[in-house]
Amino acid sequence: MAQIFSPAADARLRLALVIGAALLLLGLGTGFAWVRSGTAWRVGEPAAQPIPFSHAVHAGGLGLDCRFCHAGVERTADAGMPSAETCLGCHERVWNVTAQFAPLRAAIARGAAVEWSSVSRLPDHARFDHSAHTAAGVACGTCHGKVEEMPRTAKAETLNMGFCLDCHRDPAAQQRPAGAVFARDYAPTGEAHALRPHGLQSFRYEHYGVEVSPLTRCSTCHR
Amino acid sequence: MSGAIPPRRGPDPAPEPPQPAALAPAPHGALERREALRLMGASLALSALAGCEEAPEHGHPLHAPARASDGAAITAEYATVLELDGLSRGVIVRTRNGHAVKVEGNPAHPASLGATDIFAEAAVLSLHDPQRARRIRRDGRPVPAEMLDAAIAAARAELAPRGGRGLRILTGPVSSPTLARITGAVLAAYPEARWHQHDPLADDAALEGATRAFGQALAAVPDLSRARAVLCLGADPLGTMPGHLRHARDWITARAEGRGARLIVAEASPSITGARADRRIPLHPANAAAFAGAVAAALGVEGASGTHPDAAGVAAELVQDRPGAVVLVGRGMGAEVHALAHAMNARLESEAVRLLPHPLARPEPMAASLASIMADIAAGEVTHLLILGANPAYDAPAALGFEAALRRIPFTLHLGFRADETTRLCTWQVPMAHPLESWGDSRAFDGTPALRQPATVPLAEEARGEVEILTALLGAPATARAAVGETWRAAWGESFDARWAAALEEGLAGEAPAGLRPALREDWNRPAPPMPRGLVAVFAPDPGTRGGEAAHEAWLQEMPRPLTKITWGNAALMAPATAAAHGLSPGDEVELELGGRRVLAPCWPVPGHAPDCVTLPLGGGRRAGGPVGEGRGFDAYALRPADGAWTAPGLSMRSTGRRADVVTTDSHHRVDPSEAVRTVAPGGTLPQPGRDASLHPDWPYPAQAWGMAIDLDACIGCNACAVACQAENNVPVVGPLAVSQGREMHWLRVDRYHHGEEANPASSFQPVPCMHCEQAPCEPVCPVNATLHDQQGLNLMVYPRCIGTRTCSNNCPYKVRRFNWADHRRLLDTPARNPDVPLRPRGVMEKCTYCSHRIAGARSAASAEGRALRDGDVETACQRACPTRAITFGDLNDPGSAVSRARQNGRHYAMLGHLGTRPRTTYLARVAPEAEA
Repeated sequence: MAQIFSPAADARLRLALVIGAALLLLGLGTGFAWVRSGTAWRVGEPAAQPIPFSHAVHAGGLGLDCRFCHAGVERTADAGMPSAETCLGCHERVWNVTAQFAPLRAAIARGAAVEWSSVSRLPDHARFDHSAHTAAGVACGTCHGKVEEMPRTAKAETLNMGFCLDCHRDPAAQQRPAGAVFARDYAPTGEAHALRPHGLQSFRYEHYGVEVSPLTRCSTCHR
Repeated sequence: MSGAIPPRRGPDPAPEPPQPAALAPAPHGALERREALRLMGASLALSALAGCEEAPEHGHPLHAPARASDGAAITAEYATVLELDGLSRGVIVRTRNGHAVKVEGNPAHPASLGATDIFAEAAVLSLHDPQRARRIRRDGRPVPAEMLDAAIAAARAELAPRGGRGLRILTGPVSSPTLARITGAVLAAYPEARWHQHDPLADDAALEGATRAFGQALAAVPDLSRARAVLCLGADPLGTMPGHLRHARDWITARAEGRGARLIVAEASPSITGARADRRIPLHPANAAAFAGAVAAALGVEGASGTHPDAAGVAAELVQDRPGAVVLVGRGMGAEVHALAHAMNARLESEAVRLLPHPLARPEPMAASLASIMADIAAGEVTHLLILGANPAYDAPAALGFEAALRRIPFTLHLGFRADETTRLCTWQVPMAHPLESWGDSRAFDGTPALRQPATVPLAEEARGEVEILTALLGAPATARAAVGETWRAAWGESFDARWAAALEEGLAGEAPAGLRPALREDWNRPAPPMPRGLVAVFAPDPGTRGGEAAHEAWLQEMPRPLTKITWGNAALMAPATAAAHGLSPGDEVELELGGRRVLAPCWPVPGHAPDCVTLPLGGGRRAGGPVGEGRGFDAYALRPADGAWTAPGLSMRSTGRRADVVTTDSHHRVDPSEAVRTVAPGGTLPQPGRDASLHPDWPYPAQAWGMAIDLDACIGCNACAVACQAENNVPVVGPLAVSQGREMHWLRVDRYHHGEEANPASSFQPVPCMHCEQAPCEPVCPVNATLHDQQGLNLMVYPRCIGTRTCSNNCPYKVRRFNWADHRRLLDTPARNPDVPLRPRGVMEKCTYCSHRIAGARSAASAEGRALRDGDVETACQRACPTRAITFGDLNDPGSAVSRARQNGRHYAMLGHLGTRPRTTYLARVAPEAEA
């Protein structure tokens, strides 16, 4: 009876195993890199908006403060979107292109809401409070990037859990003094950041002898 | 009851997902190896799919308001009123992005004092009901609104020359000053027209009794804050009596101060007031008049007579507490008993009852009103019938034959919230505006007026109110807002603008009228002939669906009824002895016959029910209106006598030999009663155990340590907390099939215990949310650390980590964890959901969070104000809803907080405390009556 396996069979099996393992590693590595890349989190992809609005013109060119339109950012969990009246307050006088502002006029006529598309939305089970973050000295750009340079607004960071935790583990690196939170040309001066007397950062929490920051507990961000 | 009972057929609001064929057991016995591998591959593929169904995070709508004045209105609150039996209780509606998401009580309103009931909580659900009527229809086909206007104009042209002869208006009970004014204007313009009212839950005997006693239709309103002894003859002041939220608060406030009323309840059908009674007497309806007469005779009321073994003792208690003693009479008692009670209260010189002008705009016996319109229809005198907001085709006694009569009228118009039994028989079918989206006004049980304002934009654009229909009939169409404004401009004159704004802000439009002190008439005592012996039918509002108008609220259908724990239907309730005498066991189907009409119903013995009578809860067996309510339980209106009586002798009952569908949670989540509820004698204390030794180190709590204390002596089992929790936390409704499998999702359940003899037990209620144990048994058994402790002592549930082993639930001694057997997110993701609480996917465990989103919100708000959290900043949804303030929540690190003080109370104990779990939710023991101490 003839041999079933040729003398080279062993070598071919080994080669196949090595190649298989290499492909597996490559696949895993690619997948790992992909989920950590911005592409998976749609960084840099603008969303379709009802009006071709440019932050580059308004915030960058004209130098409007973020709070001019997002008025709730220091008071409420949601930063707030500008009302249709806020937009038209200026645009009745300047750049009054009727066709472009039709969605706003329709909203005022119907008393309904203007439906902008959210660019930086967190999942349902995450809680985020703009007022808490601005009060703790976190600037808008930390999460939203250089919005004032974006003609079409897009996500600047992944906003995944790792991104949040990087900062919550070492908040001091991103915190600014109280007066500089909304400054666009801020350069670190070594001044102490705005620590709130009753914020979560002010508590020490130790269990089994290990200090854990309340900022990294699940319930701080998850609901 | 044991085992799963086959559920009722019919589409469920949240049907159980069909079992994937691949996961069903193989038809021929044991799995072969290949089959097992194939299944494993299939389930892996399924789990991979499940991992991909994350909600898209890009391009979600971000709502920007149209006007700057709306800018702050991301969260807004509106003070308004909701009606029950035509009488209002004040509520505050919270809206998010313009959508009403939660109803809470208005602390300024005398009928609420900040509390709600299950019906007010469910208003948000009905507002967003996909089954509600949205289009104006003619014989079922949608037509433009102009056609309705033309039809009303044509009716006006036809009616005006003959002075309105043939025009009849049928409404529910009306307390609204505006609606009464407009109806008055219609009657003035059409002198031959008639206005009728219909309310299946009306207590006509109370009105008749007051008329006999005082010669006028007065409302006897108890003041339980001043009562020391209350005799309830079928009255349910904590449950179904108008003003129940106020009465419950008054009762518990006085009780907590040690001057509480002794509740003596004599009733046939167990009520929640009976469950909280200090002394309860099961009273057969045939003996009611004799008992009342005997008590009255013992009190020295002239002309009263009767004999009953318990009467002398009861009378002695009432005399002892004079003038704080009061006799209250409820549904099911004759007019002579009501008159007798007025005489007894006069004799006792009671200070605990006020006689007020009736809050309804035109109090009248509703059954007589309906009977007279039936007579007119039979005589062919009715050509135009407007039915505004009532549903007589369902909830009028079937013996009246309303459905057949309706077909004989040429012009019929029904204004209804959904396409119900009456809508289908009417030519013009007009959708009715929801109370949360329309203007109006109303009076509370004590006559306090209040304005109703819309909390949202109308969700059904063609919907109209009663006022719009009636003003169109007058030829001067007016919006509800204009009509309400006109009413109050006339009342307030010059100061209108300021008072209007204040009334909308505060939720009150004036004061309650002053009490009257009419003299008792000479001829008040007109004894009724004795009721024949034999089996008696006792009709009663269902605690979940009332008279059927709440039958389409899925939250209420699925909420276990306080005493029977029945969900998704009703049953014929009777004493265990009566069931045994008829050879019936729970769930047996019986055929009930009364006056030649028959109905099939499940039999359900209830401890404490009076023997030889059967309670038939109204509100089941809806025939139209949507899949939630249709066909749930049996229709007791089919048996109700034509005069709308609350009790009827001559009932016969026989077993059909079949089993019926009863879905009950009575056997679910059982905890040993002797370990769960404790009682103490008045003034008594419980031994306070020392701290258990533990090998585990204590958790540190540097800031707050949240805790909850629930006073079982205050709990009346009304379920308001459980429905409030469901509304606040987006808790899904699972449907009768899943409930019968023990898969209900309520984060907070209210357990009911009976102690003592079956014929007349003592009952107690125990709300059970998550205990947030210090040494939580659920935490160490989780293989993926999905449930863990945080720095505030909250036992957290991390949904994205959970892999659904359900080990935590098995290890929880309190059985408070709920597992998502199905994906309910699609059904829950409506504008009615609370956006602060995430929706849970299939296959994860969930449970009470202590409303952690409210804690986070309060912390943010306090931090923004630059201050630490104060006691009272965080109110959980259940705590906010509770009429008796039984639930206290706060920071255990603060020795001055309400919850810390509750824990110092001698009645404080931990449920299953011997297990060493050291729960954060603890209880204060029920105070038992002296008899048991």
